[in-house]
Amino acid sequence: MTTDSTTSATSGDRGTPGRGAERPPLPEPPPPIVPGTTAAERRALAEQHGLTKMGVRPPLWSYVKDVASRWAFIRVLGTATAYAKNQNTYLGQLWAILNPVLNAAVYVIIFGLILRTSRGVENTIAFIVIGVFLFRFVEQSVNGGAQSINKRTNLIRSLHFPRAVLPISNVVSHLATLLPALVVMGLIVLASGLLADYDPVYITWQWLLLLPAVALMWVFNMGLAFIMARAVAITPDLDNIISFVLRFAMYGSGVIFPLAHYVGRLPESVQVWLEPVLTYQPIAVYLYLGRSSLMEEDAFVQDPVMWILGVVWAIFFFVVGFIIFWRGEERYGRD
Amino acid sequence: MTDDVSEADADLDFDMELEDDDAGEHAENIPLGTPCLVVDDLHIVFRVFGGKQHARAKRSGAPVKDPAPVKRSVVKRLLGAGRQHVGAVSEVHAVRGVSFTARHGESIGIVGVNGSGKSTLLRAITGLIPPHSGSVYVDGEPALLGVNAALMPQMTGSKNIEIGGLALGMTPKQVDEKFDEVVEFADIGSFVDLPMKTYSSGMAARLRFAISSAAIPDILMVDEALATGDAAFKARSKARIEEVRQQAGTVFLVSHSISTIEAMCTRVLWMHRGKVVMDGPVEEVTAAYRQFVRAHRQARSGGRAGGRRRKRNEKD
Repeated sequence: MTTDSTTSATSGDRGTPGRGAERPPLPEPPPPIVPGTTAAERRALAEQHGLTKMGVRPPLWSYVKDVASRWAFIRVLGTATAYAKNQNTYLGQLWAILNPVLNAAVYVIIFGLILRTSRGVENTIAFIVIGVFLFRFVEQSVNGGAQSINKRTNLIRSLHFPRAVLPISNVVSHLATLLPALVVMGLIVLASGLLADYDPVYITWQWLLLLPAVALMWVFNMGLAFIMARAVAITPDLDNIISFVLRFAMYGSGVIFPLAHYVGRLPESVQVWLEPVLTYQPIAVYLYLGRSSLMEEDAFVQDPVMWILGVVWAIFFFVVGFIIFWRGEERYGRD
Repeated sequence: MTDDVSEADADLDFDMELEDDDAGEHAENIPLGTPCLVVDDLHIVFRVFGGKQHARAKRSGAPVKDPAPVKRSVVKRLLGAGRQHVGAVSEVHAVRGVSFTARHGESIGIVGVNGSGKSTLLRAITGLIPPHSGSVYVDGEPALLGVNAALMPQMTGSKNIEIGGLALGMTPKQVDEKFDEVVEFADIGSFVDLPMKTYSSGMAARLRFAISSAAIPDILMVDEALATGDAAFKARSKARIEEVRQQAGTVFLVSHSISTIEAMCTRVLWMHRGKVVMDGPVEEVTAAYRQFVRAHRQARSGGRAGGRRRKRNEKD
């Protein structure tokens, strides 16, 4: 046994130190044993007794079934995580609602009341509040999804389960915090109608459309979470870049002010391609769906094209993300 | 860097208990069945961020000599510092070519000094750490005894039983059925409705063990799980492990206590620096290992002139 000079004694070492004594050579363990069988023999033995090889990525379909059978785990893990997050405060679960409200208040004050950037929108408060609440869901899913594998390495290294459970349960936990927040969001929109400058807001059957809009967004967010989880699990450095990309996404999706006014000022050649990109990119689509459900404005009428796009984007991102994630399945947990 | 150093130091320490209350007991011999686990030339390599060369050499047990402080120019030192902290990725070869076969009904102990790759090997044969090369073939699904990572200290004991059970792959119905049994086995009584962070460490350990052993797997892996808990609990744990073996399952046990290994295992693998140096019946291997540990301890206590603190300081 060769050790360096810094190896020191610990509590396990009960001997009395001999002062000034020369250190006798440390004993050597026996040499490594040579296995009695060859690799081919071992493989044959494994085959003979019908053993299965471990760490092999399961076929896509059985992986899907495996994940689906873990739904109870996903749900419990997700809701418990959401609950545990606000457990150590005096206000407790109230923060799940206060957080997005304060967040929205900041943007309403800066962009809505001071900078007055919401040209073309009548109910600025509703516009900003819906945008901020819904975008927060995307933002949290991306951030949470990105860390869902890396922050849970311990769990991955101690239990068997399809790893897709982790990004999914992460998005579920954000959905669990979003749902009560949506009620508050509705109340704020309703209350904004009481202000003198604004038209009154009424609850209509259209409000129910918020639920399918959020459901589509949820599916889309899971797709994003899958992609981020794999990317960050393999290259942890990417985690640092996400917040910058998300900030771009926020300003590029018209979360706090409509982009039409600003795009209109650009040269014609740029407008031609930039406008459809900004209008039909997934996050903008979901914000539109959310706003068209709660707001009665000419800028946000119910648009079947947007609904179809919402479905298409959700399915596209979910399927692509799931496959990307599945293809890395056997690598998670290795570092 | 300080943390890295102390960790690497600890890796080579012994943390052995030679005397224990279950000394003298022996595992029941159960007739061996067909092979249920074949490990073929397994290698595990970890990617380590932010520590170059130094950590690697330490882990692999190679003699690391601190370079004599050479006077270097400021520019060179800056460049050197950059290489240490930017883009420093190195590899730790924790398990280096392990091959063996385990049979149904066998109870295998894994011994070795800290950092010899015992726990990594255990996790690798459970399929939790993907191998760098080589392969593991199994019959059934191996499970590591331990759901600690899935549990949440902020949540109540009963919520944690639910989370842990589901994490182990049980259905919600199975969790319901097992609930009372787990509470009784853990012996926590009405504490089950309080957050787990309010438990004493013994209670938390008992609950963790009770949850993890709620499902009886084909191949059970135990990593030092018996370290905490009182004597009565230890006896019950041993009974659980026997139960798995009786159902033709296989048990792997990593423990620092030789007497625990002797009491519960029929076969022992001795790991050293990522390789198996001895594999055989329990008495044979533990006798040799005991001798090695004693000799090592004597050799070290003889040469310990300065004491821990001073060496550390020199290092830093």
